[in-house]
Amino acid sequence: MELIKDGKRLDGRGFNELRDIKIEVGVLNRAIGSAYVEWGRNKVMAAVYGPREMHPKFLRDPTKAVLRCIYNMAPFSVEDRKRPGPDRRSVEISKISSEALSHVVMLERYPNSAIDVYVEILQADAGTRCVGLTAASVALADAGIPMKDMVASCASGKVNGEIVLDLMKEEDNYGDCDLPLAVIPRRKEVVLLQMDGKLTQDEFKKAYEVAIDGSMQVYEIQKNALLKSVNEVKIGE
Amino acid sequence: MLHIKDRDLVIPGQLIGENVRHDMNCFREGDNVYSSIHGMVRADENMVKVIPSTGEYIPKEGDLIIGVVAEVMMSWWLVDINSPYMCSMRGEEMTREPLNNDLNKYFKTGDTISAKVSRVDEVNSCQLSRPWKLEDGLTINVNPKRIPRVVGRKKSMLNIIKEKTGSKIVVGQNGWIWIKGNKTELAIEKIKKVEREAQTQGLTDRITEMLEKRNR
Repeated sequence: MELIKDGKRLDGRGFNELRDIKIEVGVLNRAIGSAYVEWGRNKVMAAVYGPREMHPKFLRDPTKAVLRCIYNMAPFSVEDRKRPGPDRRSVEISKISSEALSHVVMLERYPNSAIDVYVEILQADAGTRCVGLTAASVALADAGIPMKDMVASCASGKVNGEIVLDLMKEEDNYGDCDLPLAVIPRRKEVVLLQMDGKLTQDEFKKAYEVAIDGSMQVYEIQKNALLKSVNEVKIGE
Repeated sequence: MLHIKDRDLVIPGQLIGENVRHDMNCFREGDNVYSSIHGMVRADENMVKVIPSTGEYIPKEGDLIIGVVAEVMMSWWLVDINSPYMCSMRGEEMTREPLNNDLNKYFKTGDTISAKVSRVDEVNSCQLSRPWKLEDGLTINVNPKRIPRVVGRKKSMLNIIKEKTGSKIVVGQNGWIWIKGNKTELAIEKIKKVEREAQTQGLTDRITEMLEKRNR
């Protein structure tokens, strides 16, 4: 399938361009922190509950809190109805997301407790694990949980022999390779890196650089969204 | 050297300055000092700290809190204090021989009490002392990190609300506030307003003005 025409992608983006990203902070009243992210045609909601009492009790850790991230796709998030409930894929994404977030959250502050992060995919259009992580880290910051840094995430990949940033649905399905990446922006440490497909060493290096650049752009958007959220308080009766 | 002005907003991991003395919610890596939470920077002479706007209550020794008795045990009470950690309160706080007395006589499940956190250990389990039963009235919930604003400097805000609405108010550091009086609705409205506008300046004056207008 022809995915690149005259140096442009199907939706008219250049090779190193992100889709439009919109982040809203504090959208849920009952959650301690929450975020809603629209990233191209992806729509993702993340909510943070906690630190709170850990149940089941035998999983408690007296040296630190346990961060549990639960990634879930709504049945209506994809074209064919997705069977509800956890499956192999969402359990995997939950695990890698919790591990990525555990690297930045200062868990040792809250021994014996649990921090629950729920990531709900309302509409999926490729790269949902990156969107989920981006939303989750904004929600954690909104919850006032101490962190060493944010987590910014973005994917790159190979489409029709070209290294491109932030794959969309068609590129993900018919492209050659997908490389989701999450970094701690300050020191550019990688907390999540997966690869689906094949790349040569040189291509990998390039795709890696491109994805890091994309993540840094995502970080700026996260930062602006968080700083704006506090200024939105209205004064009046 | 500071990279950020007083009252600026920061996000976790943002650089605040180099070689500055830091207080709560900051951490140091080499010479650099970073914020660990999303909040507002307060910087004076040589000290920086970051004020959070949300978060759960973590028990601290000496805090006055409001709790609800969750369970009555053989010789102690289990108290819910709106925190990730439950609190225990020894029967000796009320009687010399807790095992020979029925503890239900003093506090039953569901009773609201005010108490002091007397001891917190390294895993944040805590003990309460000097309990006081709060009868009637009602308890409202505000964000624990905005309690300092509700109380105000030297209790200025709290005294104004108490005085103008003529109600009894006990503020627990854990985010629960107990109110009793004739104008509880007005008091709740004002407390909620303070909570909502916690990070704005000149709040005490605005609240005073509003309450005086209402009383006239």
